Amino acid sequence: MPRTTTVESSGCPPIRALTFDVLGLIKVVEARVDNRLAKMVDRWGEPDSSRCILAASLNDRKSNPLLAIARKCCAIEILNPLNGNVFAEIADAANDGQKPEDDPVVGLHLFKNGGTDGSCTVLTCTTKGNACMRSFTVSNSLKDSTSDCSTISWKVFGAGNILCSKVVTSETHAVFGGKGVEVNIWDLQKCTKIWTAKSPPKNSLGIFTPSWFTSATFLCEDDHRKVVAGTNCHQVRLYDASAQRRPVISIDFRETAIKAVSEDLDGYTIYAGNSSGDLASFDIRTGKMLGSFMGQCSGSIRSIDRHPNFPVIASCGIDSYLRIWDIKSRQLLSAVYLKQSLNSVLFDSNFSGEVEPVTSESNPGGEEQDEGVQIGDEDGASQSKKRKNKATKEGLGKKKVAKENGIAKVKMQKMSKKFGSHQRV
Amino acid sequence: MGFKRKKDSQDLGSEFDDDEKVKKMKKTVEKEKKEILPSMIKNKEKRSEVHAKLKIQKKLEKRKKIKARDAAEKRALELGEEPLPREIPRTIENTREHDETVCKAFDEELTAWNDADEFSSIYKCERTPKILFTTSRFNSTRGPAFISELCDVFPNSHYYKRGTYDLKKIVEYAKNKDFTSLIVVHTNRREPDALLIIGLPDGPTAHFKLSKLVLRKDIKNHGNPTKHDPELILNNFTTRLGLRVGRLIGSLLPQNPDLLGRRVVTFHNQRDFIFFRHHRYIYESKETKEATGSKKKEAKMIARLQECGPRFTMKLISLQHGTFDTKSGEYEWVHKPDMDTSRRRFFL
Repeated sequence: MPRTTTVESSGCPPIRALTFDVLGLIKVVEARVDNRLAKMVDRWGEPDSSRCILAASLNDRKSNPLLAIARKCCAIEILNPLNGNVFAEIADAANDGQKPEDDPVVGLHLFKNGGTDGSCTVLTCTTKGNACMRSFTVSNSLKDSTSDCSTISWKVFGAGNILCSKVVTSETHAVFGGKGVEVNIWDLQKCTKIWTAKSPPKNSLGIFTPSWFTSATFLCEDDHRKVVAGTNCHQVRLYDASAQRRPVISIDFRETAIKAVSEDLDGYTIYAGNSSGDLASFDIRTGKMLGSFMGQCSGSIRSIDRHPNFPVIASCGIDSYLRIWDIKSRQLLSAVYLKQSLNSVLFDSNFSGEVEPVTSESNPGGEEQDEGVQIGDEDGASQSKKRKNKATKEGLGKKKVAKENGIAKVKMQKMSKKFGSHQRV
Repeated sequence: MGFKRKKDSQDLGSEFDDDEKVKKMKKTVEKEKKEILPSMIKNKEKRSEVHAKLKIQKKLEKRKKIKARDAAEKRALELGEEPLPREIPRTIENTREHDETVCKAFDEELTAWNDADEFSSIYKCERTPKILFTTSRFNSTRGPAFISELCDVFPNSHYYKRGTYDLKKIVEYAKNKDFTSLIVVHTNRREPDALLIIGLPDGPTAHFKLSKLVLRKDIKNHGNPTKHDPELILNNFTTRLGLRVGRLIGSLLPQNPDLLGRRVVTFHNQRDFIFFRHHRYIYESKETKEATGSKKKEAKMIARLQECGPRFTMKLISLQHGTFDTKSGEYEWVHKPDMDTSRRRFFL
């Protein structure tokens, strides 16, 4: 039985999210301190379906953050995530006589340990299993950067389609998986495969389901051995490379394919979204569902992102809504209609929510502390409100005893509603 | 109550007032009684009695109101004044809940998306619509009759027996044969009850519930359609989802109608139900006598309609991205019960 009551919440914390859609647009959604509802504030790019963004990765360090996006026309762009200026554009390097449309990019990762002198490294992986690591320098103003581009490329898998790839936070290992491709972990320094999963045995009816992974992520930040994968046969599986090759635990979730999984910072909570728009959180240690996120979500979920500082997650998909959820109450904080079906969402963690984002970026730590105090205050206020609410309800309750007929009851409900609404205002 | 009255009657100077007070009190008591809704009465006979009374009362009041309004209008006309504008009745449609996905005209992103979506080649007349009709595994009587009538409605349509083929195989076959859409009529208990419209080669898959099917021969004074390309009317497809469904439906028919045929196919959306009608129309000059008594005859152009072809209602159940694939397909929109939060919330 789902919870039907709503928990009072103070709205969105100050966040900044970037969404990437099928028309090649990047839209910036912000929720500020003074305005607790998320709103679209900026749009970069011109609508053009051939420039559809397939994958994105953000290096959100405090100074000089970088954003990498992979487009359908097989160009990788490096942008400034603060204002959308293009630093560099890398035309397709790995084309060996193929059309870029036939072999679209599925995974992209921008390495965080790139030097501060403007050099950066990008890992891409295409559907047909061509992984490629490119490092180059980005000059701040000019667009030429592919000059000193060093490329390491390898084949992840010969047959089958790669559908998901993810790099662990420590950036030493990556996981790949797809249709007909078992989950496998690669060491990025040596470019070797270190572990491959084994498909689960036939079921009691003797039916074997071929492997078809649609999403994968690492469970912990620094542990490259634990991988969580979502499959097409609506299962969320946990693999432990140090234990066994078969899944340690697998959880069934609803009836449609899992399309996105994301890990929490605590190292055991997993968020999974499926292709009919259901989003739920799981405790992967026990394999139990913690609860599902209810919010009239009707289109397939393509991407989930966890905010590094605030307890919120963002989900987006082909119903063209960006939805921001509270983790604890699993309540919808904000939904933004962005007109296009969205492929990916990323949080910018260095956003403080002040009116001038550029100036506040210089000392985000201090700002955030202020932030925390404010939130605490508001919580206190809301608690006191709740108390008041209770008090009024009790008072009314006493009257209820005095009059015991239907009309009175109806009136009471109305009254209490009225009181409630007043106090919320 | 009695106590109060006594107390009041002690006040000798205000006997008249006192009576009035009592009356007032009685009135308030009556009012409270009136507020008891018939649904609260547990005795059925009593309840129905009260309900009937209430209903009659309401009816009379309404009639009175209308009479008064008409009289006021007439008077205003006689005096040469402007009559008061009639009030617009509040309906579910015009009190619809606000929906931010309702498309606005001249939206740059929308036009860009429309230029790029799966049907754009049909709308640009690069491909001519060609439809493959098929059924569910078992069908009889009403199913084939319905399909044969649909084949009359949509030009360039072909019926293939379903046989025992998988739908995915049929999709592949239709793709190879350059079909632009595939329509599956699903029958249950010899009555068509669902419609699956698949855009090809990579268009979306829409699943509709089908109801209220009336075939041509059951329509009174029906006409028989000609082979001309029909005109298409799409009504009330306003939201983003509605527009997409509308474009899917629009891609079933040729974009340049044969106006000589005077044949119209209508898809009318009202409260998320899509009503299908198929008509022939004719312009006629009707000779009418002038009401003033002069025998001058005046030719007046009127349009007459004759319904032909089937009549049915569809409701969208799901819209899936890509061709038919229930296992791994991504849904653009699925109807879920928790979406029905209000009667005034519509999706198309």
